[in-house]
Amino acid sequence: MEALSCGERRLGSEEEYAAPAVGVSLCDSAPLVWRMQDLRAVRAEGLVGALLGSLPRTPRQNGRLGRPLLLLPEEEGLLRERRAAAALPDRCQDWGGAELRQKHEEEEKRSFEEQSVLALEDRKLALLRAMTGAESGATSADEALRRRLQALDQNFTFPQSAMAVQLSTARAGLSYCPEARAFLQAYGPPGAEPRCDARYQVFRDLRGRGFYLTSAGKFGGDFLVYPGDPLRFHAHFIAVCVSLDESVCLLDVLAVARLGSNVKKTVLLCSPGPDARVCYTSLQWSGMI
Amino acid sequence: MADQNNTDDKGKFYSEILSPSELFAARSRSHKIPVRGQKDFFPDDSDEQKQRLEQSLNEHWSLLSEERVERLGNLVNGQWIPSKQIVELQSPAGKFWQTMGFSANGKQCLLPEEALYLMECGNLQVFHQDLPLSIQDGYEKFLSANTVSLQQYQVFGHLKRLGYVVLRFDPSSESSSYARQLNLPQSRDRAGRQLKRKRSLSPAPSSTPTATCSRAEAQEECSTEKMEEDKCSEGEEDIKLPEPPEAQSSADEGGGRSWWMMDVLGDSDKDSGHGSKSGSSCWDFSSISFPDLGSTSREHFPSDLAPPDPSLLPGDLKVGFCDIAPWRQKINLRQVKMSANEQKREKYRRRWDVNKNREVRRCRNWAEYQELMARRKGKREGRPAHLWNREVTPLHDPTQPIATGELLEKISVIKPTHLLEGASRLKDADDWRICFNVYQPNTVADFKKSNPGKPYSRMCVCSFDDPVPDLRAIKLLAYQSGDIPVVIAVVDYGDISFYTFKDFQLPTDVYP
Repeated sequence: MEALSCGERRLGSEEEYAAPAVGVSLCDSAPLVWRMQDLRAVRAEGLVGALLGSLPRTPRQNGRLGRPLLLLPEEEGLLRERRAAAALPDRCQDWGGAELRQKHEEEEKRSFEEQSVLALEDRKLALLRAMTGAESGATSADEALRRRLQALDQNFTFPQSAMAVQLSTARAGLSYCPEARAFLQAYGPPGAEPRCDARYQVFRDLRGRGFYLTSAGKFGGDFLVYPGDPLRFHAHFIAVCVSLDESVCLLDVLAVARLGSNVKKTVLLCSPGPDARVCYTSLQWSGMI
Repeated sequence: MADQNNTDDKGKFYSEILSPSELFAARSRSHKIPVRGQKDFFPDDSDEQKQRLEQSLNEHWSLLSEERVERLGNLVNGQWIPSKQIVELQSPAGKFWQTMGFSANGKQCLLPEEALYLMECGNLQVFHQDLPLSIQDGYEKFLSANTVSLQQYQVFGHLKRLGYVVLRFDPSSESSSYARQLNLPQSRDRAGRQLKRKRSLSPAPSSTPTATCSRAEAQEECSTEKMEEDKCSEGEEDIKLPEPPEAQSSADEGGGRSWWMMDVLGDSDKDSGHGSKSGSSCWDFSSISFPDLGSTSREHFPSDLAPPDPSLLPGDLKVGFCDIAPWRQKINLRQVKMSANEQKREKYRRRWDVNKNREVRRCRNWAEYQELMARRKGKREGRPAHLWNREVTPLHDPTQPIATGELLEKISVIKPTHLLEGASRLKDADDWRICFNVYQPNTVADFKKSNPGKPYSRMCVCSFDDPVPDLRAIKLLAYQSGDIPVVIAVVDYGDISFYTFKDFQLPTDVYP
């Protein structure tokens, strides 16, 4: 299990306090985050993302999903701008090499041996519990159990099929590409120019004000704006990004206002202005006064 | 592992591998998910909120960081074959074989999306070059534009988790619409339309034998039938036009008899228009007496008729007096008994003179008079000739019976259409494709992969960034799918919304 929280860092030098960089893997050109501490780091930056995979504990339900975490293009852009993320190579150079195979086999053998030992101890404990459990109990039953206990060391077998095996979520252990990670750690990811499209500007501004944002396609808008972490709070706004010089059809405004009032959220028309400021207009449906 | 013995932070930092003791202890893990509590509305920096947030986050991280641990005996082993982009099973398949996978070269195989889903469920372990693939490896190797895209896999996984059976859509294995047509009963629409076509082809029965009527119909018929066979139409034309087009004669046609014309020209509005003519062939009816043998009044009761003027008789013919009595015996001289009404009517009738009518006096010959009569009849019966003897005729002949529904169809400007109309002519486009066939969950028990039957719906995957499908795309999808509704799954990063377009006919207010 994960031993470290996202707070722990490796300090390279005295002056710089380098936060661990988030490794982003591309799958079908979509930015995915797989590792636990990468997910925590992303959350620490105030970015929510969207979980796509089955939850290991209960895979056959859609209520709660598991890793990987899909990042919005704006989220990825923001991480790159803050020099907090970089793309990882999708394959390790020496995948499938003989050395790796050997390591894997050794690991499996070692795991099997340890698990057999643990299984034997576990069985013994169970028998002991059964013996002491019987209070006054017939000594014949106790005797039988004691005999079984003694025989256990010789007769106990731990079949291969009973061995527990891990199906790793993230690319782990043998193939996690240690070189690339080390490189990222030492030099940090390259910075990226902030994007200039309207959506990114709005995202950046709202995030900077402390809001949490997720995508809002099914609400007819660009982003859903939460006052705090979405785990604990409901969304207040539906942000629709419109550029200042773009003319908006009145019917579209009415449609989005209706939508917003139906789901009890305020519609926010967001327009990035000339001096990196964003202009916000909220729509409220009210009667004539 | 090389860094197994060294306690380097770096190694452990990036590894999410469980130790054997942890693996063993995983047997007694709980399988329940904690229930999510109520959300707060507004952050107020209170400790309570902070605590709840921390608790939610911890719960969140513990659920996400949990790794899949399975007994080796419960796992099916497979091997990834990149050249064929499939997973070949090395050990026998489990329960999932009923709805997933296929056989190839005597081996059980799985499609990449099925293999990835089973990996995520913890039922399958896939090896590549003798090393086990992680879920991340599976995503990156199995999902691509060639096989199944990430968005399509999201929809696949979502539906599978709900319990549906999802198979790939293969357009070539769908029966053509014609083949389906043979099994399905004809829709009412089609029957109605065929009937309509038959009506326009068959010769419409014309009750009025006027030449103008038949000619107009023949023209209609010719235009439709000419498209079919030229010979046939020509024959019909011959039959339909026996007489020369003299019905079209207008007043300009010369050669009409002049004696009537003279009569009309002669008088103005005088009642009695019989002036005597000199030197013309006009007869002076006032001087010619026609004896009324049937008259009952005494004064007109001659016993015998005087012989005519000998100058009028030809040759040496001599005519004597004529005895009227035997002639009168041959006539029914009984007085007709009439009621007061009838007597009044009779009086008016005797006074009525067809020649007093202005329109009649304008007619210069019998032909024109006949035309006038035809016109009057047409107006009376609702079928005025001047409307029917042109190129553009009324839509419907009021003298013909027609059902209200059909009449409404005739006068409608916008014809109702259905989704599949014209769809077979559309050329296939690259952007909209059906990905999956979806079958209901409750059919899993008797589901047969070799004969899955009719799917519940067909899935088409897109995202909110893509344009809304236009009518052409919808028609194409409906045509490809046949009679099964097409559902469009729109993927919005983590969310999936399902939309479908349904055919709808506006109700007509007619009950046949």
